[in-house]
Amino acid sequence: MRNIIGKDNILIKSGTVFEPSSGKEMISDILIRDGIIMAVDKNINIESMPKDFIILNAQNYFVFPGFVDMHVHLREPGNEEEEDIGSGFLAALRGGITSIACMPNTNPAIDREYLVNYILNKSGLIDFKIYPVAAMTKNLEGKEMTEMGLLKEAGAIAFSDDGKCVQDSKLMYEIMKYVSYLDLPLILHEEDYYFSNYGLVNEGYYSAKLGLDGISRFAEELMISRDIMLAKKAGAKIHITHVSSKGSIILIKRAKEDGLNITCDVTPHHLYFNDSFLESYDTNLKVNPSLKSEEDREALVSAISEGIVDAIASDHAPHYESEKNTTFKDAATGTIGLETLFKASYTKLVREEKIKLGKFVALLTSGPAKILNIKTPAIKVGNKADIAIIDLEKNKRIKKEDFCSKSKNSAFIGQNLYGEVVYTINNGRLILKSENC
Amino acid sequence: MISIKNLISIDDLSIDDINLIMENTDSFCEVLDREFKKVPTLRGKTIINLFFESSTRTKNSFEIAAKRLSADLINFSASTSSLKKGESIIDTIKTIQSMMIDLLIVRHSDSGVMNFIARNIDVPLINAGDGKHQHPTQALLDLYTIKKSFKDFKGLKVAIVGDILNSRVARSDIKLFKRMGMDVTIVSAPMLLPENLEYLDSNYVYDIDKVIENTDILYMLRMQFERQDRKYYPSIKEYNRFLSLNMERLKKMKKGSLIMHPGPVNRGIEISEDVMNHGKNYAGFKINTQITNGVAVRMALIYLMLGST
Repeated sequence: MRNIIGKDNILIKSGTVFEPSSGKEMISDILIRDGIIMAVDKNINIESMPKDFIILNAQNYFVFPGFVDMHVHLREPGNEEEEDIGSGFLAALRGGITSIACMPNTNPAIDREYLVNYILNKSGLIDFKIYPVAAMTKNLEGKEMTEMGLLKEAGAIAFSDDGKCVQDSKLMYEIMKYVSYLDLPLILHEEDYYFSNYGLVNEGYYSAKLGLDGISRFAEELMISRDIMLAKKAGAKIHITHVSSKGSIILIKRAKEDGLNITCDVTPHHLYFNDSFLESYDTNLKVNPSLKSEEDREALVSAISEGIVDAIASDHAPHYESEKNTTFKDAATGTIGLETLFKASYTKLVREEKIKLGKFVALLTSGPAKILNIKTPAIKVGNKADIAIIDLEKNKRIKKEDFCSKSKNSAFIGQNLYGEVVYTINNGRLILKSENC
Repeated sequence: MISIKNLISIDDLSIDDINLIMENTDSFCEVLDREFKKVPTLRGKTIINLFFESSTRTKNSFEIAAKRLSADLINFSASTSSLKKGESIIDTIKTIQSMMIDLLIVRHSDSGVMNFIARNIDVPLINAGDGKHQHPTQALLDLYTIKKSFKDFKGLKVAIVGDILNSRVARSDIKLFKRMGMDVTIVSAPMLLPENLEYLDSNYVYDIDKVIENTDILYMLRMQFERQDRKYYPSIKEYNRFLSLNMERLKKMKKGSLIMHPGPVNRGIEISEDVMNHGKNYAGFKINTQITNGVAVRMALIYLMLGST
């Protein structure tokens, strides 16, 4: 593999080590030995140590814990030409991401134990933390519940039908009751098909202008409303993924105030764009849920500020060139997002919208970790090193050729984004020196 | 003397009634041990088996019981395809009423049919199972089976495993066992339980492994996947993992504990093939005994309901 260095003994010098929970920054060295963080201190001396240390000059760079992307579509098994576990791994590292949760809408869908095992085995081979999300319904058809007890035992971390949404409310309720007993989160893609089926973009000023069939916000908001009611009675832990509208935020906020165990995430593209960008009919901006108005976008940003949003997740959706290189109507929905997860949301939230860095980084670390019930990545003595070293001042105009992912359908092509990932240390090994891919 | 005219629900019986039935079952068990298994007690009495829902086990059990008491039993099998709901049942009942019989035994697939029939006929009734509601004679024979293995009911731990939501056997058993002082735990999945557990008033767990080592009586219910209302439980494999009895689990059971099932067993679903084939070697395997006891219990019940007239 290109750019793999693979060193377990690393000294990171003079980086600005950032602790998300406290928001504290400190210029510090980090000593990693055999992959474990041994010291975080000023001016660490390695003269007494064995000679095979690699020294990374992190001066003027920020040093963060490796990020968690809790919503990723790896197209393996079934659509490996779009992405596979190996290329997804590289793309993630490029984005400073050292843990991901992968969605089950593969081919076959991850709805049986042996498929959960498949994902876990493969990720073990490449030494990358992939947490499999298993399907809620068989083959994501929304008709029959999967063997959720067995899937949990096989190692599924959560359940989701993402890409699809269970329209049968009674079935959704029964699923919630079972999942509540099993005590795993449900990651919900909220979409009422009766509202969304023939639409292409958000119903609004731009859908009218562009002559594209509009999708009412009800598509998302009605289902959120339904699932909040069902979850309350069933006692299930629900997570609403890729929240995109103001109304949805209001519903979630109220539910949180009522004490419901509900969390949510937002994508970088929903934070960055609004539907005015659709004037170009750029198919890379055709996403589900669709981009919405500036009012909605601002509501998402405020929600982050107020602490209503728990995580930022990319909804990395690779698509083969031919699926995107066509008319807006026929194009597949989705944008890749692993490599731009940090950059895009950092540029918009921290640099433009002035959200505090600590608050922002928490949405990529402790936020998703808590939802998935995994260990929060942290730069702490004793931890295995999962680290992203980023040059926050470096900016670059995104080009198609920049991507490590097999698919190049990025909504951010042409955008000028800040925050280059310089080094990523994954599971204690310096794997990537980011230049080109 | 038994206090009831109709036996529709197990709740209809008083504790005295239950004890009376148990005592009389002992006598009839003794009759069934003889070479000549008939007694003339109910000679001249006419009983009708009115089974709207198909059944071999219960129907035959009642028939054998009646005949051994020397009563005349006639089988009315109303085929459901020719039945229009409501109206034809009334016609059938009125016909039976006109035939001047002594006892009517009914099984139907709808809950509450017994109450409906009781309003329209003046003949003593025995509920042989109405929909998901009650199956009182099953509960009585289950109680008797337990009685023969333990000195006292008080504090006995019973685990009732499976599809509680759709089971008339579960409803009758849980109520009866609790009344007699047993400690009932329901082992079931959220999809297989009623929303409101107030009526059943019992502890609940999911995963049979949680109770297998401590229970005195393991009562396995039938699980039918083909029925429409089953679509909420994912698969047989999941059921096997969390709710079924296999050899590995049987070996963990307490000494002296019992394995029971109302029958017929869905092999490979709630009880594994292995257990069904080798289970008889285990002293606590009572599934066949339940059937034997069923005849005696029904003899006792019929005798008590008719014999005193």
